[in-house]
Amino acid sequence: MARYGMALDYKSCINCRACETACKAENGVLPGRDNYRIWVGQKEIEGEYPKLSISSLTYQPSQCQHCDNAPCQQVCPTNATYYDENRVVRVDPEKCILCTYCINACPYDARYVDDRTVTVDKCNFCSDTRLANGETTTACQATCPTKVRTFGDLDDPNSDISQLLEKREYRQIKEHLGTKPKLFYLL
Amino acid sequence: MNLSIKNLITFRRTPLNLLVAVTGALLLAAFVAGAVVYFLHGHHAFNVTRQHPWGLLIAMYVFFVVSSTGLCIISSIGHVFGVKEFQQIGKRAIAGAIVTIISGFAVIALEIGHPITMLIYNVLTPGLTSAIWWMGTLYGIYLCFIMLEFFFLTIKINHKWSKIFGIGGLLSGLAAHSNLGAVFGFLISRPTANGVFYPVYFILSAMITGCYLIYIIYGFKYRNNYPEPLRVMFVKLNKILGMLLGILIFFEAWKILTALYGTMPERAETIMYAVTSPNFIIGELLLGMLIPFFIILFSNGQAVKPMVYASLTGMIGIFFMRYDLVHDTLVYPMTMLKRSEYQLPPTLLHYFPSPTEMAIGFGGIGITILGLYIMEKVFNLDPDSED
Repeated sequence: MARYGMALDYKSCINCRACETACKAENGVLPGRDNYRIWVGQKEIEGEYPKLSISSLTYQPSQCQHCDNAPCQQVCPTNATYYDENRVVRVDPEKCILCTYCINACPYDARYVDDRTVTVDKCNFCSDTRLANGETTTACQATCPTKVRTFGDLDDPNSDISQLLEKREYRQIKEHLGTKPKLFYLL
Repeated sequence: MNLSIKNLITFRRTPLNLLVAVTGALLLAAFVAGAVVYFLHGHHAFNVTRQHPWGLLIAMYVFFVVSSTGLCIISSIGHVFGVKEFQQIGKRAIAGAIVTIISGFAVIALEIGHPITMLIYNVLTPGLTSAIWWMGTLYGIYLCFIMLEFFFLTIKINHKWSKIFGIGGLLSGLAAHSNLGAVFGFLISRPTANGVFYPVYFILSAMITGCYLIYIIYGFKYRNNYPEPLRVMFVKLNKILGMLLGILIFFEAWKILTALYGTMPERAETIMYAVTSPNFIIGELLLGMLIPFFIILFSNGQAVKPMVYASLTGMIGIFFMRYDLVHDTLVYPMTMLKRSEYQLPPTLLHYFPSPTEMAIGFGGIGITILGLYIMEKVFNLDPDSED
């Protein structure tokens, strides 16, 4: 029993998108415009040419925030979306009716329709692939060349992520909605 | 009850009857064609996307169930609340309520990816915090109640039981319909939809839809030339409709003003987009609200014949209300960061229904026309002598 989360040292991101590729390969995400579990968001550069603010150009790797109070879980009519024993927000394709209410309810655009199962899919921290095989990292974390991501148990004070969050300041996305996201962007 | 085939296929071949028959047949054919394309290609036949996952079919589902709830509420004025003038429309209104909700279910069955799974897991693992679960379950109960009400109104006439099931239908319909509003109202991620407005607005607009449909159904049946008891009822219906439209306009005005006030990010931008679109100005405001409202206002509620035409524009307006409800709720992207170097920054989303969506969605109207025709032919929907 753990409470998994992820810290992102997003200012180190170089937008190589190895994480996106690793995620797709590890989890068999099909090609297609809307098919992605994780992505790298890019902020528009500020200023007008030639006075462009290079420092304003930042990348923000993102994915399901694995909210402790997930709107997608609350709205699911068949409880197909559930918290597993590690508080990871997951989808049971057996129960999913593809009403796509959860896609509407997610404030982070973290869900999409998987054409393999014709149900809603999302990041599950590689729970049924890497974690199920005894690994302790996610594919996106393992592949990142600049070590942007730190994945681990938020309830374990000795875990890397807990230690990191103790030392560094961080922000969360849309936390004013009360979703209690478990992705932490290190400042 | 008259179930003979001959009775079903014979009707007076007037130009208007033929026009409605041909339109209904074309719409039904469109529905079947749309269903075939959907079964072959799934949601890829629709123009819905990850960012805009709901489209015309959800709007049409809401359109049909709003119609059903509205007809049920208007019929209950006579049968449940005992207002004598309205008792004469009870049977036909309930027949319409049954037909429209079945049309809605037919449309939504082709939008939900796994309707059979829904029936199973709605029972086995109910999501009690989900407005969709409550809405779906309550609409199921509602359909049972109004079918039983109809049974005791037309087949085995028993006013005591029809009233009991009428009350059940009214209460479950109100509960189901406000839960449908809550499907949108509970979306914390969508500031324009989130809040108390939609659950209340849905009931209000259902009553208005019910009035419009009563006008259209009776206007067609009597060719806009009514016997005196119906004319008296319509004058009263005008006053109810005028008041409801006034309240709706008042509600909408304050919804818009509060959303714009203070230019709150996301909410103000979305509402500004919504209220400046032709869908709202021409569809919702002019056709849906102002034309019927001013006809009632300037005729002091006495205009009965023009209201049939105003109800037709009103139903077009009601359609735009449902369409905009879905589109405006989803129009603001949930992430404003671009995902590629060679991409413009995200802006408000674009959506226009695919031909398959239109075939299924508008084809549902064909189911309604066929259903109303069968109801009219098979059952005696005119008032009993004691009504």
